[in-house]
Amino acid sequence: MSIIEKTPLPATDTIPPATVDGMPHKPPMEREALRDVISLSLWAGQMLLQNGADTARVEETVHRLGTGLGCDWLDIIVLPDSITATTTNNLEFRTRVRRAPVRGVNMDIIAQVSDLSYRVQTGTLDRFILRSELRRIDKLPKNYNRWLVVFGVGTSCAAFARLFGGDASVMAIVLVASSAAMFVRQELHHHAFNPLIITIATAFVAGVIAASSALFGGKVAIAQAAAVLLLVPGVPLINAAEDLIRGHVVTGLARGFNGLLIALAIAMGLGLAIWLTGGQGL
Amino acid sequence: MIELLGLMLQDAFWSAIAALGFALLFNVPRRALPYCVLAGAVGHSTRLLLIDGFQANIVPATLAAATLVGFIAKYCARHLQIPSMIFAVCGAIPMVPGVFAFQTMLGILQIIWLPVDVAADMLVIAAINAIKTGLLLGALAAGIVAPTLLFERQQPVV
Repeated sequence: MSIIEKTPLPATDTIPPATVDGMPHKPPMEREALRDVISLSLWAGQMLLQNGADTARVEETVHRLGTGLGCDWLDIIVLPDSITATTTNNLEFRTRVRRAPVRGVNMDIIAQVSDLSYRVQTGTLDRFILRSELRRIDKLPKNYNRWLVVFGVGTSCAAFARLFGGDASVMAIVLVASSAAMFVRQELHHHAFNPLIITIATAFVAGVIAASSALFGGKVAIAQAAAVLLLVPGVPLINAAEDLIRGHVVTGLARGFNGLLIALAIAMGLGLAIWLTGGQGL
Repeated sequence: MIELLGLMLQDAFWSAIAALGFALLFNVPRRALPYCVLAGAVGHSTRLLLIDGFQANIVPATLAAATLVGFIAKYCARHLQIPSMIFAVCGAIPMVPGVFAFQTMLGILQIIWLPVDVAADMLVIAAINAIKTGLLLGALAAGIVAPTLLFERQQPVV
C-alpha cells in the first residue's frame, strides 16, 4: 500500500492499485498499441531463435522490448521452434503465438536485434521506428560474399587437418574437399532440401574427395575427419549445453537431440564414402 | 619450454584460421571478426598448453580454456557493444569435439556389418567416444557461461 501512496497514478477507475509484484503500473495503453508491442517483441524473439541465440537471450530480449515499449510485464514461453508471450498493461492483456522454425546461424542478426532492444529500453526508439528497423534487419544481405565463405570454410577445415597432424598434401586435399562440400551444401540449402539430407550429401562429397589423399601418400583418416568438420553442429550443441546449465531443459534437450541427429547424418554420409572408396574406417 | 611456446604459437595460428572460417560462416558483424579470431586462437592454444605443459586431462583443460574464452568474450562485448555469445561461440568452435561426435556415430553404424564379438568392442568404443563428446561439450558450455553465472547474477526477469 505504501507504493500506492508514493506513486501518483492517472485518475481512472479502471486502473487497479498495483500489479501482483507490487510495482506501480505504467501508463495505460490503447489495445492497438498493445497489439503492436506484442507482435514486434515476438518478431524480434523469432529472429533471435531462428538464427542461433540461446533461450535465455530470447527470453530476456523479448521481455526487454515489451517492457521498454510500455507494458507492465510479459510472460514468455520459449519452445525449440516457437515463442508464446502474453503482454500485460493494467487490466488489459494480449497473447500471441509465433512460430520460429530454426534457420541456421546468423550472428549479425543476433547482434542487431540485441542492440535494438537496448535502444528501446533506454527510450530512444519507439514502436514505429522499431518496426522499420526490424524490417530492415530481416532483409539484410549476408556480410560476407558466398565464395568468400566457401573458401574460408575450406581453409578452416584445412587448418583443422593441420591441428590433427596432417601434412601439406592432406591440407591441400581437405581445402578442396571442404570447399566443394560447402558449395554443395549451399546449393542444396538453396533448393530447400531437408537439413539431414543436406548433411548426408555434403559429408559424402567431402569424404569421397578427401579419400583421394591416399593417392598422394597422405593419411586418409585425418583427411576425412577434417573434411567433414564444416558440418559439425557446433552452435546447436553449445547452445544445448548452455540451455541445460541455465535451466531451460526443454529447449536444451531438443537442441541436443537435433545436434545428435546431425552428427548421425555426418556419420552416414562419411560412412558411405568410406565404404565406396574401400577405406578402413576412421 | 621454448619448444612448447613454439608449439603453442603454431597451434594459435591454425586455430585462428579455423575460427575465422566459422566466423565467416556464422556471418558475424564485421567489426567483431578480429576479436572472434583472437578468441579462437587463445582458447585452443591455452588448452594445448594445459594438456602438453601441465599434463592436464582434455576435459578440465577444455573447461579452463573455455572459461578464459568466456571472460575474453565478456570484455570484447563491453568494449564493442556486441553480445558476448558471438565471441564466445566463435572462440569455442575450434574446441568443439566434432571428431569424437561422429566417431561415436560411425562406431554405432559399423555394428550392423561386424560379427558379434567385434561389434561388442565397437559398441564399447562408441560409448567411450559418446561420453567424451558429452563431457567436452558440457565443459565448453560451462566455461563460456561461467562469467555470466558468477558475476552477472540476478533474479530472473521472465
